[in-house]
Amino acid sequence: MDPNNRLSGNELRNSIPNQTAFSHFNTQHPQKWEDPSLIDYSTRIEPPFQGFNQVKISQDGLGNEMRSTYKIQDWDPSAMLNNLSFLEQKIHQLQELVHLIVGRRMQVLGRPDEFVTQQQQLLNADLTSIIVQLISTAGSLLPSVKSTLPAAPPSVGQFGQLGGAVFPLPGLNGGVQLQNTNGSKVPDQPNQSDISANCVTEQNLNIEEHDLKEEEDADEGENLPPGTYEILQPEKEEILAPHTHFCTICGKGFKRDANLRMHMRGHGDEYKTPAALAKPHKEPSSEPTLIKRYSCPYSGCKRNKDHKKFQPLKTILCVKNHYKRTHCDKSYTCSRCNTKRFSVIADLKTHEKHCGKDKWLCSCGTTFSRKDKLFGHITLFQGHTPAISVEESKALVGPSDQKEGNQGTNKAGSMNFNFPPNATSDSGIQSIMDVKGNTDDPAGIFSPLNFDNFGGFGEFPRPPFDDSESSFAFLLSGSYNYSQKNEADDNSNNLA
Amino acid sequence: MSSRSSKDLLSFTEDLLTRVYEKLGSESDRKSWRLVCREFLRVDSLTRNHLRVLRVEFLQSLPGKYPRLQSLDLSVCPCIDDGTFSLLLNRHASGSESGSLSWFSWARGLKRLTLSRAAGLGFMGLEALVHACPSLESVDVSYCCGFGDREAAALSNAARLRVLKMDKCLNVSDVGLAKIVVRCGKLERLSLKWCMEISDLGVDLLCKKCLDLKFLDISYLKVTNESLRTIATLQKLEVLAMVGCPLVDDVGLQFLENGCPLLQGIDVSRCECVSSSGLISVIKGHGSLRELNASYILSELCTTFLHCIKGLKHLEMIRIDGSRIAEPSFSVISNYCKSLVEIGLCKCVGVTNMGIMQLASGCITLRVLNLTCCGSITDAAISAIAESCRNLVCLKLESCNMITEKSLYQLGSFCSVLEEIDLTDCCGVNDKGLEYMSNCSGLKCLKLGICTNVSDKGLFSIGSNCPKIHELDLYCCSGIGDEGLGALSMGCKNLMKLNLSYCNEITDRGMEYISCLEELSDLEMRGLEKVTGTGLAAIAAGCKRLADLDLKHCVKVNDSGFWALACYAKNLRQINLSYCPISDMALCLVMGNLTRLQDAKLVHLSNVSVDGFELALRACSFRIKKVKLFAPLRFLLSSEILENLHARGCKIRWD
Repeated sequence: MDPNNRLSGNELRNSIPNQTAFSHFNTQHPQKWEDPSLIDYSTRIEPPFQGFNQVKISQDGLGNEMRSTYKIQDWDPSAMLNNLSFLEQKIHQLQELVHLIVGRRMQVLGRPDEFVTQQQQLLNADLTSIIVQLISTAGSLLPSVKSTLPAAPPSVGQFGQLGGAVFPLPGLNGGVQLQNTNGSKVPDQPNQSDISANCVTEQNLNIEEHDLKEEEDADEGENLPPGTYEILQPEKEEILAPHTHFCTICGKGFKRDANLRMHMRGHGDEYKTPAALAKPHKEPSSEPTLIKRYSCPYSGCKRNKDHKKFQPLKTILCVKNHYKRTHCDKSYTCSRCNTKRFSVIADLKTHEKHCGKDKWLCSCGTTFSRKDKLFGHITLFQGHTPAISVEESKALVGPSDQKEGNQGTNKAGSMNFNFPPNATSDSGIQSIMDVKGNTDDPAGIFSPLNFDNFGGFGEFPRPPFDDSESSFAFLLSGSYNYSQKNEADDNSNNLA
Repeated sequence: MSSRSSKDLLSFTEDLLTRVYEKLGSESDRKSWRLVCREFLRVDSLTRNHLRVLRVEFLQSLPGKYPRLQSLDLSVCPCIDDGTFSLLLNRHASGSESGSLSWFSWARGLKRLTLSRAAGLGFMGLEALVHACPSLESVDVSYCCGFGDREAAALSNAARLRVLKMDKCLNVSDVGLAKIVVRCGKLERLSLKWCMEISDLGVDLLCKKCLDLKFLDISYLKVTNESLRTIATLQKLEVLAMVGCPLVDDVGLQFLENGCPLLQGIDVSRCECVSSSGLISVIKGHGSLRELNASYILSELCTTFLHCIKGLKHLEMIRIDGSRIAEPSFSVISNYCKSLVEIGLCKCVGVTNMGIMQLASGCITLRVLNLTCCGSITDAAISAIAESCRNLVCLKLESCNMITEKSLYQLGSFCSVLEEIDLTDCCGVNDKGLEYMSNCSGLKCLKLGICTNVSDKGLFSIGSNCPKIHELDLYCCSGIGDEGLGALSMGCKNLMKLNLSYCNEITDRGMEYISCLEELSDLEMRGLEKVTGTGLAAIAAGCKRLADLDLKHCVKVNDSGFWALACYAKNLRQINLSYCPISDMALCLVMGNLTRLQDAKLVHLSNVSVDGFELALRACSFRIKKVKLFAPLRFLLSSEILENLHARGCKIRWD
C-alpha cells in the first residue's frame, strides 16, 4: 500500500506495552488487598475489562471531546477511548455506591449488627475494587500518551483503527448526524454501525493478502494480520472471577449481563423500562465496532500476544476457557470415574454426560461414544473388530492413580484416564495379563478421540501436542500390529 | 469262531479290515470289535474319526491314539477347564518335539468340537484349543452359560469356522458376535438362541459380514424388525429360526417377503406380536417354503392364511400349535399340501374326527403327527390316519382320552414303520391295546404314563415283540409288577430310558430284572416303596451305563444300596436322592466316589447331618455343577465350602 506499511509492526508493539503496563499495574495490587475482611475481593472485583466490552458513551460531551482529542493526536485512539469510557463508567459506579452507602446508613439503623457489618463489608469491597480500577486505568493513560506522541505518521493498521473509530462517530448523537456527508435522511443507526464494521473488514481483507503465510497455522480459520484488530488482555483475576457482572446496588454478581438486568428490576421501576432491559450493545451509542481479539495473560503461551506465533482468541469466553483449561489446576473431578479432571465446569458436565457409558473401542484404536457408531465403523472397514471388555477394565480399575504423575509433565497424559491398564482388570489371570496389558495400554490411552471431551481442541497449547502426536501414532499402530502378529494377543483380548 | 476262520480274518490286510470296520453300525458293535484282538483295536484307532470322551480322566491319553480324529465331543465332561487343555496341549506339544506326531495328528485334523456345557472352560483354554486346531469347522459351545465376549473372541480365531452353536452363552454381546463374524466370514450355520445380550447391531453386522449364512437361529433375542430388515439381505439363507422374539412384528416379516430368495424354513413360534398377516407376506414371497412353524401365534387360521397355504406346494412341515382351526381348513391343507410330512396340531382347538379324516385322506405321506391334547379325537380319526398314512413314524396322542384299543389295533395293523407313540394319559389304553400295538415291531419309543389300565400282560406283548424299544415311560402305571419288568428285560435289550416312578408294586426282584438292561442310562424310580438296598445294588452293578438316576422317595433303600451305587455306577452324571434314608457315610461315598457326577438333588435327607453334607460337598466340590440343598443348610454349612462351590461355577438351588 504505502511505505508506512512496514511500520505497522512497530506500531503494534508500541501499543502493546500500554496494555501490559496497565496490566502490571493492576496485578501488583491484589496483594495489598488481601485483607481477611476483604477476602472476597478477588471474586467481587469488577474487572476493568468489562469496560472494554460494553463501552457506553452516554454523554455527548465526552464523546465529542474524545473525538477532538483523537483528531489532534495520532496515537492509539481506541485504547485511550476505552480507558476513558471505562473511567467514566467507574466514576458513575462509584457515585452510586457512595449514594448507596449513605442510604444504607439511614436505613439499617434498627438492624442486627452482624447483618449490617456484612453489608458494610460488601460495599467496602466494591468500593475498594472500583477505586483500584480507577487508579489503574487512569495510570495506564499516562504511558500511552507518552509512547504514542512521538509516533510516526499513521500506519496502515492505524488507518484501520481510525477508520473504525471515526466513521461511526456521527451516529453518536443527533447533532452530529446532520453533518453526515451524504446529507440525506438519517439512516438507521444500527445500519451505520454495520457499515462501519464492513469498512473495517474490507480494509482487513486488503491487508490479508500480504500476511497470509505468517498466520498459516491459525486454527480459527481467520487470518487477521497483526494490527488490524484490537488486542485485549484480561487479567488473571478477572478470568477466574466467578461473576463478571455486578449489581451496582447490592453487589450481587452475575455471569451474564442479561441476568443482571433481570435482577436490576427488583431495585426499582427505573430499571424496568424497555431501555434499561434492552441489550446494551444494541444501543446506538455503542463504541465504534473494531474487531477485538483477546490475548491470554499467561506469558509464554501461544495465545499471549508476546508469543512470536501469537494466535488471538476470539471472545472473552474463549480466553476464560483457554486460561482455565491450560494454565489452571483441574479442580473439578468427575464424580463417576474419579479419574478425569477438569478446570472448566462445563467440560466436566459435558464429560459427565458420557462418563460411565461404555466407551466403544475398535481394534484400530478408534473410540466411539456410541455402540452403533462403532458397529458402523466395523461394517465399513475390513478386518476391524470391536475391542473387548473396556467396561470391565474400567469398572475394576477404578481410581488409577498410577497415571497421575503424568499430569504435570505431559498435558496429553493428564486427560487420558479413559483406559486404565487392563493388566489390573482380571484378577484370576493377572500374571499372564500383566505383560500384555502394558504393551497394549497406549492404544487405549492415546486413541485420538479421547481429546474430544475437550470441546476447545484448538485452544490447547499446541506445542506439547505437536511434539507427541507422531509418537502416539507410532504407539497406536505399533500395538495394533503387535496384537495382530502375536499369538499371545488373545491373552489380553481386552484390546485387540 | 474256529481257529481257521479267525486266522483268515487276521490275515486280512489293514485296508480290508478297515472296510469291514466301517460297516459296523452301532457303538456296541464297535466296542466288541475293539475287544477282539490288538490288531482289531489298532484298526479301530486308526479308523476312528469321532470321539466322545465320557470320563475326563482319560482325556489326556485318548485323543493322541486316534490319528484320524475329526470330531471330539466333550459335552459329557463339563468339568473340563483351562488347566485340562493346557495340560493336554502341552503334553502333546512336547510329544511332537520328541518325534511323535500325535499332537498334529489329532489337533491339526480336528474339524468338529463339541464343548456343550463346558462352563468351566475359560477364554484362555479355548484360545489355546482353537490355535491348536487350525482346521476347525464346527464348534458347539451351547449352554456354556458363562461364556462372554472374551470366549467369543477366542473362538473367532478359528477362521475356517462354518458351524457355530452358541445357545445360551448368556454373556456374549454384540461385541463378541462382531469378533466372530468379522473373523469367521465363512459361517454357514449359526445359532444364537438365548444369547440375550445380542441386539440388532450384532445381527446387522452378522448379516453384512457373513454372506454365506444358510441357517440362523435368533430365538428369544431382543431383536426388532431392524434385524429382519438386514436378515432379508442374506441371499443364501435357507432356515431362519426366531422363536419367541417378542419385539418382532408383521412389519419385520414383511421384509422377508422380498428377501432371502432361498428361504425354505421359518420358525416364528411364540413371537407374540406376529400375526397371520406377517406370515402371509413371508409365504407370498417364498412359494417353495418347506417348513413353517407358527405355533402359539395364530389365534385362528383365517381364510387368507389358508389361501396362501394353498400356494405352498412343497410344504413338508407345518406346526400351528395352539390355534383355533375350523374343519374346512383341514380339507384345504389335505388338498393342496400334498407333500406334507409333519403336522403339529398340539393343543389346537377345533380338531375333530371329521377334520383329521379329511387331513388323512390327502396327506398320505405324513410321517409325524402331533395331536397332543386334542381331546375330541376318537378311534374313527386314528383309524383313518392308520389306513391312509402308512408311513407314519411318530404319533403323539397325549391326553386323547377317547382313544381305545381299536385305534391301537388299526395302528398296529397298518403303520408298520411306527417308531414313536405317545399315549400318556390315554386312559383307554389297556393290555389288549398294547398287544395290538406290539405289531409295530420297529417301535422305539413308547410312552404310557398314567395309563392305569396297563398291566404286566401288556408289557409281555411289548417285551416279546418290540426289541428295538429304547425309551419306555411307565410313570404311574400302578398295574405294573415285577413280572412285566422281567418280560421287558428279556425282550427290550436296547432300553436306554426307563421311567418306573410310582409303579408301587415293583420290588427288588423287578429291579434285578432291570439290572440286566446293559444299555440303560436313564432310570427314574421315584416312590418305589417296596424296593430296598438290594434292588438298588443290583441296578448299580448291572446297568453300567447308568447316567441319570432318580431315587426320590425310595424310602426303603438303605445304605447297602447306596454303597453299591458309589462303587459301581461310575458313569452316573445326575442323581436325585431327595427323601432317601441315606446316611452321612453313604452320602460322602456316593458324592466322592462317583467321578462323573455333576448334578445332585439332596433335599430332605433326614439321616444326614450338617457335617455329612459338608463332607459330601467337599468331596465333590471340584466337579459338581449343580446341587439342590435344603434351604436352612445355607446358614449351617461353612461359608468356605459354599464359596468354594461358587468359585468352581457350581449352582446351588436352595429348596
